[in-house]
Amino acid sequence: MAGIRYYDIRHVKGAISHIDIENSRVESAGTTFLDRAVIRVLGPRGWGILTVDHFGRPRGKKFDELLAKASALASLTGEEVVLADAPSGMIPVPPKKTDPLSIDLEEKGRLLLMVERAARIPGITSTRAGYTERYEDVRFEDSCGNEYTYSLVRSGYSILAVAGRGGEMQMGYRRRHALQDFPLKEGKKDGETAARRALALLDARRPRGGIMNVVLDPELAGVFAHEAVGHASEADLVQEGSSVLRGRIGERIGSGIVTIVDDPTLPEFGFEPVDAEGSRVEKTTIVDKGVLSSYLHSRETLPAVGFGHTGNARAMPGEPPQVRMSNTYIAEGDSTPEELIAECREGILLCGSRGGQVDPGRGVFQFNAEYGYLIEHGECGAMVRDVSLSGEILATLHSIVLCAKKRKMHAGYCGKGGQTVPVSDGAPHVLLRDAVVGGNGHD
Amino acid sequence: MVHPMFSFGTRWLVAMDTIEKILKAGERQAEEVEVCLARGASVTARLRKREISYAMGSEHQALSLRVIRGGRIGVSSTGNPRAWEACLDAALRSAALAAPQEWDGLPGPGDKPGGFVNFDGSAVPDPDRVREMVRGMEEGACRYPVEVVSGSAQISQYRIVLANTRGLYREDRESVVSMGLETIRDQSTGYEYETSWKMDIDPGSVGERAAFLAATSHGGRDVPTGIYDVVLSPDAFGQLVGSSFLPALSGRNVHTGRSRLANLLSQEVCDPALSFIDDPGHPRGIGSCRWDGEGTPTRTLPLVKNGVLRSFAYDLKTAYQYGCGTTGSAVRSSMGGDVKIGFHCMTLDGPREEILEKDALFVHDVVGAHTANPLTGDFSVELANAYFYRGGNPEYPVRKAMLTGNVFEMLGETGGLSREEKVVGCCVLPSIRLKNQRIIGN
Repeated sequence: MAGIRYYDIRHVKGAISHIDIENSRVESAGTTFLDRAVIRVLGPRGWGILTVDHFGRPRGKKFDELLAKASALASLTGEEVVLADAPSGMIPVPPKKTDPLSIDLEEKGRLLLMVERAARIPGITSTRAGYTERYEDVRFEDSCGNEYTYSLVRSGYSILAVAGRGGEMQMGYRRRHALQDFPLKEGKKDGETAARRALALLDARRPRGGIMNVVLDPELAGVFAHEAVGHASEADLVQEGSSVLRGRIGERIGSGIVTIVDDPTLPEFGFEPVDAEGSRVEKTTIVDKGVLSSYLHSRETLPAVGFGHTGNARAMPGEPPQVRMSNTYIAEGDSTPEELIAECREGILLCGSRGGQVDPGRGVFQFNAEYGYLIEHGECGAMVRDVSLSGEILATLHSIVLCAKKRKMHAGYCGKGGQTVPVSDGAPHVLLRDAVVGGNGHD
Repeated sequence: MVHPMFSFGTRWLVAMDTIEKILKAGERQAEEVEVCLARGASVTARLRKREISYAMGSEHQALSLRVIRGGRIGVSSTGNPRAWEACLDAALRSAALAAPQEWDGLPGPGDKPGGFVNFDGSAVPDPDRVREMVRGMEEGACRYPVEVVSGSAQISQYRIVLANTRGLYREDRESVVSMGLETIRDQSTGYEYETSWKMDIDPGSVGERAAFLAATSHGGRDVPTGIYDVVLSPDAFGQLVGSSFLPALSGRNVHTGRSRLANLLSQEVCDPALSFIDDPGHPRGIGSCRWDGEGTPTRTLPLVKNGVLRSFAYDLKTAYQYGCGTTGSAVRSSMGGDVKIGFHCMTLDGPREEILEKDALFVHDVVGAHTANPLTGDFSVELANAYFYRGGNPEYPVRKAMLTGNVFEMLGETGGLSREEKVVGCCVLPSIRLKNQRIIGN
């Protein structure tokens, strides 16, 4: 069709189910059915995009009309978009370990109740457990003749336990999500872990914030990799000029022990068999021994920015693709966690994540720990709570002085531009020198 | 009249017929059935640097069902109203799993409602209009020496029908206009946005403010760690109270042991100068409405009046469960989505003053408010676009610092509210002056 350089269609059908238990009662359960398509047309300059509910792929004249409608939108654009030639092909979807779809709703409710009841130990005043399950049947086609179909299922649960004493409250939280699996079947022990943590936090100190040495556990160090480096390496932000990593390829931006990788091929929560615009997925080494080596790319950002390969376009059902991380991690070092704590001498060990945020243009990040421990004379001491870490990306990467040798990945969700996608983050324990720690206590 | 490219058309009439079918079919299998059917159209233009990189048109449909059988509530939703039978089956299955509770019925027909309260017929999802909006923002940004990073403008319209087997049938129309622009000068960033239900936003002003923030934050200085009077903008304040204070006003959190405000009714919970009032009739509220998400007539709800906790917010489910009356506080989690407790238009009232006349640290935005402890209100956030004000004027921008404290405690001693207000999500908020806040500098 005249004026159309390229088109693609990504249609996702599926369902999201949830069960919510509060204080041993099933408060809510339900299902949301998904059925949305995104039709992208690349006009003489930029994109025209249509999103349509319960899409039926039309043929012949009706399909041409659909493209013409998207093309009319493309005529508003002024940016000259160039698409990279991208390697195509889909990698195999990992086999299901346990298929959540094969387990009936009542059994899921029963298992979730076991997790919740395990958290109801003396001192716990409130509990909340949630189960979510999402399956997607994805169909992709483009004007180059590529066609892919695949199905994925993700499921997981969370347990929140609230401990109360003398009018004070603290919470313990555990969550576990998995790709092509059903972790709820092994979730009971997390109920008790969440409860015991909530009780312990009642006696934890609120540390006074300031500049100090910090050891991050694998979960929080993974959030650091994601927030501080991953987002700033997304090439759409680099292209817009809103990343502090713009123009720094080949530059040493961190200490020589820091290697940071994004890999959508890993069978972790952020796995993709093919990206949202049909490009083959590959591992990307973003930071190689302290040197910035690649950005994460879509077909659109690669010609505009360079340095890397395509395969990092991801999208929520019914939304246009964005450059996104998948499974992001700091590579292993050769120390032990005990060596990191001994080397830290005086400081703080931060554990678990309550989330984080980054301003990639300014190069500033912030994230919050679920709990931590004071480090005194090279040993772990009293438990602390409500501690956060903030910093400047470039300065902080140089301040990583040790990485432990055992890496662990954690599943979660990441938001950007109004879209939320499943990701995993991971790292070994890492030691930071002179980090800015936030806390409103006096200890 | 909606732009022909995205019209509601005859599919809407077909959908109306579907509601009747669902209610009849559902009534045979459950005591009560509720149907919320929504259809919407929107157009978006996305700016990258100074050119539009994409224009997007969307047509949405959402069907949300709730069934009640023996006090057990089941929910289900779909983007395909034609697949309502599968959706109804799923709602009935989920009801079978839910615990039974006290239930005294969905709302009946009630009085005939008046007109639409947040619908502007001139807010048409027209591609040319959103193009003009992003161009206007871009021109506004030219008034300062900054680079435009990205921006977007969107116009949406929705039609929503809520019906149930008790004879309630309410039809509503809503419009949403939003725009935002991000700018940068070296490593100083600025972001500004506005949201309204009518076409009353000045794009040039949004662009100019975004550029002002990046331009004037450039060359920031460090501040020493210490105690400061802090003025939070509506955005910064909205994020912090939204992380823990507002959730603590939810009846569900109160009765399930997850609210720090439980057991404090009729007690002073913040500065006596402050009142938090949910005002569903607020003329600027995006969520303003005559009835709530399950059809209960809404009313002005003083949650905190002159510092004293007066009420919590309840929907029908929570009200029946805990023997309270509904406060008309059911909101839909998205267009046609599930029901939950929320606020239609949360407002903050108090003494209006020139709150930057005395020395203070002004904070336009914060990074990481969502990481606050939702139970206790403890938080540590990074500041963005912060300025030290002396004698009523900005003396210098602050390069990097953290604000750390407790949301509940920070409301205990305040120093007035600004006269200007901004729409921030489901709130319309002023700036607020907070006394003796802890800043961690560099």
